[in-house]
Parts: sequence; C-alpha cells; structure tokens
Amino acid sequence: MSDFNIELRERDAVDVLELKGYLDAHTAPKLEEAFQSLLGSSRYNIVVNCRDLSYISSAGLGVFMAFIEDVRNNRGDIKLTNMSPKVYNVFDLLGFPLLYEILNDEQEAVNRFVHTTD
Amino acid sequence: MKLRRIIFGGGAFFLILVKFTLDVIGKNIELGGLGITLLREFMTLGAFVLLFLASETDVARRDQSPVKKLGFLLLATMVLILLTGVISAVSIEGFDTKDFALLPLDYMTIFAASLLSVLLGFYATVVVRVLRDLITRARKRSSRRNYYIYLGLVFATAGSTLMMKPLESGLVNTVLFVLATVVATINAFRLPWIVYLTKREKVFGLIYSFVLFLCFTWIDVLFLQGSNIGNFLTYYSYPLREFVQLTIIGANIYFGMAFISTLFHLPTADAFERKRSEVTSLSTLSKLVTQALDFKELIDTVTSMTMEVCEASGCWLEVIYSSDEETPLGPTGAKVIRTATQPSYLVQVAGTKNITQEEIDELVPTRVLSLRDEVLRGRKSIVVDNIGADPRITTMGKARRHGGSIAIVPLLSHVGLIGILYATKETTYGFGKEDLEMISAFADQASIALENSRLIKKSIERERLLREMLVAQEMQRKLLPQDVPASPALELDAVSTPAFEVGGDYYDFMQIDPTTIGIVVGDVSGKGVSAAFYMSEVKGIFQALGRMYTSPREFMMKANEALASSIDKHSFVSLIYALVDTSTGTLTLSRAGHCPMLHVFDGGVRYVRPNGIGLGLTQGELFDTAIEEESIQLSDGDVCLFYTDGLTEARHGTDEFGYERLKGLTQRIRSKAASAIKEEIIESVKDFVEDQVAHDDLTVVVLKWHGNGSPKSSHISNVEEAQ
Repeated sequence: MSDFNIELRERDAVDVLELKGYLDAHTAPKLEEAFQSLLGSSRYNIVVNCRDLSYISSAGLGVFMAFIEDVRNNRGDIKLTNMSPKVYNVFDLLGFPLLYEILNDEQEAVNRFVHTTD
Repeated sequence: MKLRRIIFGGGAFFLILVKFTLDVIGKNIELGGLGITLLREFMTLGAFVLLFLASETDVARRDQSPVKKLGFLLLATMVLILLTGVISAVSIEGFDTKDFALLPLDYMTIFAASLLSVLLGFYATVVVRVLRDLITRARKRSSRRNYYIYLGLVFATAGSTLMMKPLESGLVNTVLFVLATVVATINAFRLPWIVYLTKREKVFGLIYSFVLFLCFTWIDVLFLQGSNIGNFLTYYSYPLREFVQLTIIGANIYFGMAFISTLFHLPTADAFERKRSEVTSLSTLSKLVTQALDFKELIDTVTSMTMEVCEASGCWLEVIYSSDEETPLGPTGAKVIRTATQPSYLVQVAGTKNITQEEIDELVPTRVLSLRDEVLRGRKSIVVDNIGADPRITTMGKARRHGGSIAIVPLLSHVGLIGILYATKETTYGFGKEDLEMISAFADQASIALENSRLIKKSIERERLLREMLVAQEMQRKLLPQDVPASPALELDAVSTPAFEVGGDYYDFMQIDPTTIGIVVGDVSGKGVSAAFYMSEVKGIFQALGRMYTSPREFMMKANEALASSIDKHSFVSLIYALVDTSTGTLTLSRAGHCPMLHVFDGGVRYVRPNGIGLGLTQGELFDTAIEEESIQLSDGDVCLFYTDGLTEARHGTDEFGYERLKGLTQRIRSKAASAIKEEIIESVKDFVEDQVAHDDLTVVVLKWHGNGSPKSSHISNVEEAQ
C-alpha cells in the first residue's frame, strides 16, 4: 500500500535526498539505509527534500533522530526543505523546527552548507 | 452354525444309507423302472449337496494363501489315494456286465463301491472349491463367469447321463464332456495368484502343483483304464462319475498350467519381490509423512527402509539448515556440525542405522573437503563404487581399509537443501541404478516429511508467540486506568484501541489532590512491542512524577530528563498533560510534541497548542526552553478533547480524517454527554475509514465541564436529553 522512494542527488558537494510518497514504519528502513550509506562514505552534509513526501509517521520522524547526532558530531547537518503544509504540521507538532533547520527551498539549504564549509 | 452342520451331515449320511440299502435290495430283486433310477440319482445329488454345505466353512477359507490351499489339497489327495488303495485291496467279486448295466456280484462290492464313491465325490467337491478360490482370486467378473460356465458344463455333462445306462455313451454327453474340458483349459490360464507369491512361496507352489499334477494324472489314468474304481463309480451313479472325472481332469489341467507358470515366474521372483517391497515401503512411508508429528519415528522409518530395500549395511540421515535459522530441526541434543567449506550450512546427524559416529566422521570428515561438501554444493546424488580407491575419501581409517561402497542422496525441498541420506554397503559396486532410484524416492518422501515437521514447529512457535502477545495485550490493557476520577464538576471518558496486539498509545488520570485532576495522553513512536514497552515506562514516569510536580511544564521537563536517558535514539514519546482545578475551572496544559487539545466552548472551537518538543528527542536546555504552559478557563458545557494522531490521521485512501473534520464534528455534538461524544467520534472514524484496517493506535479522551457547584440548569438538561 505504502509507496516510498528515495532519489539521491549531489548538489554543490551536498547530498540531496528527495523523498517521495509515504514514510511510515514499513518504509522507514529504506530511508535508514540511505542515511547509513551516506554516513558510511563519510558524507555528512545532507539536505532532505520533502517536496513529494505525502505522509510521514512517527517512525519516519524517528529515522532523522537516529542519525542527527552522528551527523552533527562530524560537523555536518541534516536540513529539511520543501515541505507541504501537512507534512510540516507533523514536524512542527513534535517541535522539529527547534531541532532541525527546515527551509522552503532546496538551493537555500545547499547554500547554507556552502557558507559554513567556506 | 454347528447345529446346521450336524443336520446337513446327518441328512447326507441318511441319504447315503438309504441309497446303499436300495442298492443292496437291487442286487436281489430287479428294481426296474425309471422312478427308482431317478430316485437313486437324486438321493446321491442330495447327499453331496448336503455334504458340500456341511463342509463349506472348513474347506474354503477364501483369504488363505494360495500355496496353503495347494498344500491342503495335496494332503487331501494323499489321503484319498491311500484310502483308494486300501479299498482296492479288499477282495471282491466285481461286476457282471449285462445290457450296458453293471451288476455287482457280492455285497462287499456294493459296500466298496458306495464307500469309494462317497469318498471320491466328497473329494471332488473339495477340488471344485479350491479351484474356485484360485481361479476367482483376481476378483474379475470374467474369471468368475468362466468358472461358473465350467461348473455348469460339468453339471450338464453329469445330468446328460441321467437317462443312460452305465456303460452307454451318447452324443450329447460326449459333446458336453469335450466342452467342459475346453473351458477347463481356458480356466487354467487364470493364475493371477502366482505373481504375488514370495520367492519361497513360489518354490513351494512349484513343488505342490507338480505333485498335484502327477496325482491327478494318475487318477485320470485309473478312470481311463476302466479299472474297478471306474466301475465302482459308474455303478454307484453315472452322473457322479462324470462329475468326479471332469473335476479331476479340470484340476489336472489347472495344476499342470500352474506348475509351468510358476516355473517361468521363478527367475523373476527376486526382482518382483524387491519391487513389491519397494512399493510397500514407499506407501508406508508416504502414509507416515502425512502424520509425521513424531520426527524421530519418521527418521527411523526412512533409515530402516533404506537399509531393507537396498540391503545396505549402514545408513544415516543428516538434517541441514542454514546457519541463520533460529530453530535447529534435529533431535534435541544432536551434535551440530559445521563443515569446512560451507559455513552457511549447519548439519545434524538425525538418525543412524548400524553405523557409528566415528565411522561417519571417517567417511565424511568435517575438517577437510568431503563428499558432504560436494553434495551441499552440487545438490546431486553421489555414488562411490569403491571407498578404498576413491580420492574423495581421504581418511585412512577402518572404512577405507575395508572398502565397500556408499550412496549419498540430497533431500531437497522448495526452500533448498534440507538434508542428506547416506547408505553404505560392505561390497564394492554395491549400489546399482535401481538402488539409487529407490534411495532418491525415500529421500523425496523424507524431505516432504522434514518440511512438514519444520512447518509444524514454526506454527507451534507462532501459536506460542500469539499467546504471549495476548498476555501482553492483557497486561497493557491493565496499564490503562480501570476507572475514571469522579467529580461533580466534570465528566471524563476515554477509549484506546491498538492497531496491533499491543500499541504505543497511553492515557491516564490522576487525582492529585481533592481539587486537582491530572489528565495525560501520550503516543510512543513506532508501533507494536517496542512501543508497548516504552508506554509502560511512560506510565511509571507519570505515576512517579505526577504527584511531585504541580506544574505541567515542570512535569514535562522532568519526564523528558527521565525518558531521554533511557529511550532508544530513534524513538520518542509525544505527551500532552493537563491539570484541571475542579474548584476554579482552570485547565493548565503542556504539550510535548503531542497533538493539540481541542477546546469546544460556547460560540467557538479552537486547538490549544502551547509549544514543546517530543520527549526523548533532545536533552536538557533546548527542551526546557521550548516547553510552554497554557491555561484556559473552562465554562459550563465546555468540551476538551485529547487524542492521538491515530484519530486525525485515520485514512480512507489518501484522504485523512483531519483536524478540520474533528473540529466540526465535536462542535456539532458538544451538548452530548462525554461518553456519547466519545462513541460518536469513534463511530465517525469507523465510518470514515470504511473497511480499511486501522494502521495506527487510536486514543480519545473526552472531558466535559459541568461547572463548579452551581451548574446552569439548561446545560444539565442538555446532557440528560443526549443520554
């Protein structure tokens, strides 16, 4: 039932994960895998584009929590962009805006990385 | 039964006696006339019918082995020949021939003729019955029919002599006699019983049928010679003579054929016997497979049948399972073997026959590459014709010194290789193509059984898990409050349904002091067992901290501190906590990442949503600065709704129940009692998702405020109306 896809791109030395579909307990392992492989190859500057993310459950949110510590310890970050109001509301309810940078535009997020690394 | 036999036997004896008396009288006085002749014949017929009936159960045990029947018949024949010899030895005057009739010359002749005729007649009925059982053994309609045609012809031939004088011959009689002989010859090809005899039985059958053939030939010759025996019978009753003679001829032909047929079957007896035992073993095995609950018994059967059918000197069966499988299949306590080259497989010797573990280790050692590894890799049968000379068997132990041969067959199922069956022989080149085929057939059956047993084990395991889940469910249900704090100022009602057996939703109430009631609703991230464990932890935290901190914000900060240190880093808990002062109607609320509280009041509805981060997401300062507290003043008839996202995110296709729908619905039904509001919300969610399964836990807590001390009568009446 739940269709979920991840597309990985690189933009100005920043890895962009584009999420599509439903991210719930069933599909969360996919995202986990994606993060794991990025961290495995020491890629810590990550932007997650949520333009086509139609739903996220608490298990989906948990994936971000599982990796953020590692990423930040390596002076990287996970930034979230392009959320639909509905998805944003889920992040917002849990207080994620206080924990993550959530931006409207992917380029803006990428730029922030470029500035910090410069 | 016994009485009947006595009556029949007595009747027969009486008739024979009367006939004898008539014969004696007939010697002195001419008892001419058709009537007397017919009377004599019918008495004879009656006597033998009665004799037949009286002896039916003794002679004809139909299911008896054919060879035993032959033996019985041989015995009867010997007795007959002996008695015939004795009777023939008695000195008698014999017969005078006059006008085709036989006239006895003395009483002794009459007596001997009667005795011998009764004996022969009775013997003929025995022969007829044995022939019947042998010919109709195949239970085919045609064989039964042919037999009765033969019998009919015999009786017809006998009947045709009824009006004839003893030494006369007639055309009809001769034709019938020849026909009966022809049918007897056809019947002689009905020998189905020979094929299924064991080799030993065939040898006995061969001897018996040969001796019987000789005996019958001899009796035939006696008849032909027109010796006294022939005359005795002819004198006694011409039809009886015909009956006896035809029976003897029929038996003679039949046993002659039986002898020849058995002789030709003898060389293939071994092969046939073996095939038969293979078929029997396979059918036994497949029967066992369907009821294979006893794994040990099954292995035992497979190995012992392999031994038996292939005449192997030793046999063993190993079960194979992949090393990441949770439950070993072999018998408890069996050593688990890891092979040198195939580490992904685990091997257990499940059953051995006539071979020791040492010998097995010698033949297929685990330290070096062995034949076992070859089967594991190739999944094909292997036959080693000479153990002593094969380079794949590397040990120098007893097995190699002694030589011999070994056959190894894999047990395959749809999941892959699940076992290996080994058979050894002390002779080289011991396993032919047929042996290998047979062992493979056993291996196939065994793999079905193994697979079944594996499935049964799994389903038992599943059953156990299910039971434990039910226990967990019951435990979790008990973690939820069993009753609601009572206060005249408010009504409370709640419901929580997990999506699976256990869930991560939580709600609780607490009477903190006489005028303060605490209400908490939470949701642990994820679902199922892990969520359920955290839920019970949250319960503990609430019960411990609820009384200590009278500010919801403070409570949340302490709860986060307690939980963050213990919770898994990708799990978190969203919580909403409200304190209601029943004396003032003030509700103070803090929200740690949870769904906002819905407040329905006179003239409006709004989500109360103070800021706050979910518990366990972050530690310390960030959480503490983020968490807020908000107070609202309740008025009579206000409704507050606490819930989990299972409510707002209930889905029908891609459509969500949502915040707006909840808002409208609650506002519409706000005047009803708390329990009715709860019911309606649950009902409308059910209607909304229709027949789709709930994919999240769902909790709803309804608070209805009735005011402090002086409730407005209109509101009270509203509540009553709704009920």
